[in-house]
Parts: sequence; structure tokens; C-alpha cells
Amino acid sequence: MNILEQLSSTPLYLISGIIILFVAGMSIFFLIRSYRAGLALGMDKVKLKRAITSSVTFSILPSVSILLGVIALSGTLGIPLPWLRLSVVGALHYETSVADIAAKSIGLSGLNVSEMTLEAFTTIALLMTVGIIWGCVCSIFFGKSYSKKLQGNSSKKSSGKSFGDSAMTAMFIGLITAYTGSYIGQLIQLKNGSLVVTGQYLQLIAFAFSALAMAIFTYFAEKKKMACLDNFSIAGSMLTGMAAAVIFGMIF
Amino acid sequence: MNNEERELFLEKYNERTHFFGRISLILGLALLIAAPFVMGISLDAMPNMSAFAKGFAQIAIIYIPSSIVEFLIYVPMLGAGGSYLGFLTGNLINMKIPCAINARDIVGTKAGTPENEIISTLSIATSSLVTTVVIALGVLLLTPIRPILEADVLQPAFNNVVPALFGAMAYKYFRKGKQIVALPLIVMTLLFICVPSLISNVGFLMLLSGAIAIAHAFILFKKEEKENKS
Repeated sequence: MNILEQLSSTPLYLISGIIILFVAGMSIFFLIRSYRAGLALGMDKVKLKRAITSSVTFSILPSVSILLGVIALSGTLGIPLPWLRLSVVGALHYETSVADIAAKSIGLSGLNVSEMTLEAFTTIALLMTVGIIWGCVCSIFFGKSYSKKLQGNSSKKSSGKSFGDSAMTAMFIGLITAYTGSYIGQLIQLKNGSLVVTGQYLQLIAFAFSALAMAIFTYFAEKKKMACLDNFSIAGSMLTGMAAAVIFGMIF
Repeated sequence: MNNEERELFLEKYNERTHFFGRISLILGLALLIAAPFVMGISLDAMPNMSAFAKGFAQIAIIYIPSSIVEFLIYVPMLGAGGSYLGFLTGNLINMKIPCAINARDIVGTKAGTPENEIISTLSIATSSLVTTVVIALGVLLLTPIRPILEADVLQPAFNNVVPALFGAMAYKYFRKGKQIVALPLIVMTLLFICVPSLISNVGFLMLLSGAIAIAHAFILFKKEEKENKS
């Protein structure tokens, strides 16, 4: 049995599968609980169902890209570990880079199947896990007090017009502008005092075409009263942006 | 449900959310940390702890501060239930947060309200289940779908899922907050053009752009409040 076959053996699938099932169970529990709480608070059933439908359509494409992360890592770590890491706590951008750092720190030249040993594998698995759990640790210790502080702040404002909504919009705008700036910075960079065009334009193409498609979806949803498009507008826009990246990648 | 009953219900709901959230995180982390050791028993090769310590020192420097920043930013965005589940299921920035925000936009709930929290939790739970199903199906059907997913021609699509996601969200949010977009966008763009090495730290720098956007929004909010009073 070669190393990859050992790393994709049935016991490893079972270990990953049990943990993934536990987390899926928690998701179902929270889903049912919040749905019932919504009904108890008098929220419209149709709205609750729309939230679920839109989240399903929204999540399919990013999930496929996460699956690609599993496939990419499976070449060196087998399937069960990447499956586990990218299904629970993990993050697509994190796992590949940490796996590489972990491999180098234990003496491999990188994430390389020809150098992989069973001991290296379990050490990498532990490093990948322990490296990413700190958001969870913060939530366990400080989640309750932080949430209560935030709830206190928003209830203090409840007498007048709240800044909370504007703050959330602003925070998300801050997040998107940071990423937008990074896509422009990937294409245009200051090197030795002059601006250089790097040729890495596909991120901006995907971004721009997706935004354009979203504008079209919004037009139809708002002006033509096709509100049902809202559920699919993000997924449709993303597909458009991704298709544009493929087409530009083929032409240029 | 009258106001008093509603308050009582919410108080109980929030308390139970923290209880279940913490329990699920503690159990989830215990299982996750145990996994490499159980795999080690199965493979007869336990993790090398001195190599682990060396590697952890490198990883911790980068990822512990960024996890703290993420915690501080994401909890207000997701609410208590949403953040417990979000941190447990992962893939926050590239999926769960935009997904929850999109669901809240579609349903039309306001930040800081219980309804907002409920929609966030519903959305994150759903999103997490979709990912679980897609990845499980992908793993099961790996042999037939692998050539399609790994086709060279499709790589630009799959390499640019996150920019495509942010493009769609950008249109919605830049339109919603027209007045506050320009400043953080200009600052971040100039920063990344002038210091390209910072691109890999975009997760940290969103603190800066977020702070600029919030400060600007606050000034506008106060200005509007003043105008309404006079």
C-alpha cells in the first residue's frame, strides 16, 4: 500500500466522516432552532424560507471551489484530512498555505508526496488543526461577553435612530474595498519608482463582470418587479464573473 | 406575543444560544484535536511533538492575531448564534459572511435586531449544510468529476470564485453606501499599488478600511442627526 492509499484508508474516512457528521448535526440543530425562534417571534414563514433558499443557491459555487481545495490537497495528504479540514473550521485560503508551512517546518521541502511520511502527515494534520482554532477559542471564552456588550450598545440606541445598520454596512464596505484594492494591486504595482502592469487581471475581470451582472439582476428585480431573481442573483452574477475569467483566459 | 413575553423569550433564547454554541464549539474542537492522534493510532505514527512545536511557532505568529481580529469583526456581523456556528463550520470570509449578509438583505432585517440574528443563523446553518453535501458528493464522485474540475480551461473560473463573489456584493453595497465607498477604496488601492507585499495581509488590512468606512459613516450619521434636529 503506497502512502496516498494509506492516507485515504477506510479508518481515516471514518474519523473524518464522524466529525463532519457531528458538525452537520449541529448545523441542523441551529437551523431548526432559529427557524422555530423566528416563527415564535412572528416572522413571516415565507421570509424564513427565502433566507434558506437564497443561502442554498448562494453557497453552491463557493462550495465547488472548496471541493477543488480538497482535490488540490488530496494529491499530497490523501482525501480524508483535506475533506475534514475544509468542512470543519477550515478556510480555503488558509489550509493550503498552512499545510505548506507545516510541511516545511517539519523538514520537508514543501507539501510533496514523494517526501511524505506517516509521521509527517499526522504532524501536519495537528498543525493545520491547532493553527486555525483560535477564532473558536475566542468564541468559547469571550463570545458571550462580547455579544452582550454589542447587544447593550444597540439597545442603548434603540430610543433614537440606530447607527448599528450604517456601521454594519460600513464594515462590509470596508471589507469589500480591501479586497477590491488588492485585486487592483495585483494588476498594477509600484516597482523601483515606476508603475508596472503585472498581467494578473483575471481577478479584476471576474470582479467587474460579476458586478455588471449584479447590476442587471438588480435592474430586473427592482424595475421589472421580478423579486424572485433575488434568490439567484448572487449565484448568477458569480457564474457570469467566472465565465468571463474563463473567456478572457482563453483569448488573452 | 406581547412585549414582555417577547423580551423573556429573547432572553432565554440568547442564553441557550450561548450555552449550545459553547458546547458545540468545545465538543467540535475536542474532536478536531483528537483526530490527528486517532489517525496516528490507526496509521501507527503519532505526531512528532517537537516538529509540531517548531511549526506552531511559525503558524501562531500569523494566525492567532488574525483569528482575534476576525473574532472582533465577525461577531458583530453575524450575531451570537451565527458566529458560534460560523467559527465551527469555517470558510467565513469566502462564503458564510457574504451569504448571511445577502440573506439578511433579501429578507430585509435590521442590524442588531433578533430577527437579524435569526436570519444569520439560518443562513450560516444552511450554507454549511450545502458545503457538507457538495464536498461529500465531490469526494464520492471524485473519479468522474476530477477531470472536469481540473480542466486547464476552467481553472480561471475556479481560481476567481472569491473575486466574483465580491464583485456581486460590491455592486449591492457600493450602491447602498455610495458616500462612504470612495475613501477606503482609494486608500486601499493606493496602499496595495505602492506596497504590493501587503496584498497577502489583506485580512489584517480590512481592519483599516473598515475603520475608515465606519468613521466616515459615523460623521455622516451625526451630520444627518444634526440636520434633522435643526
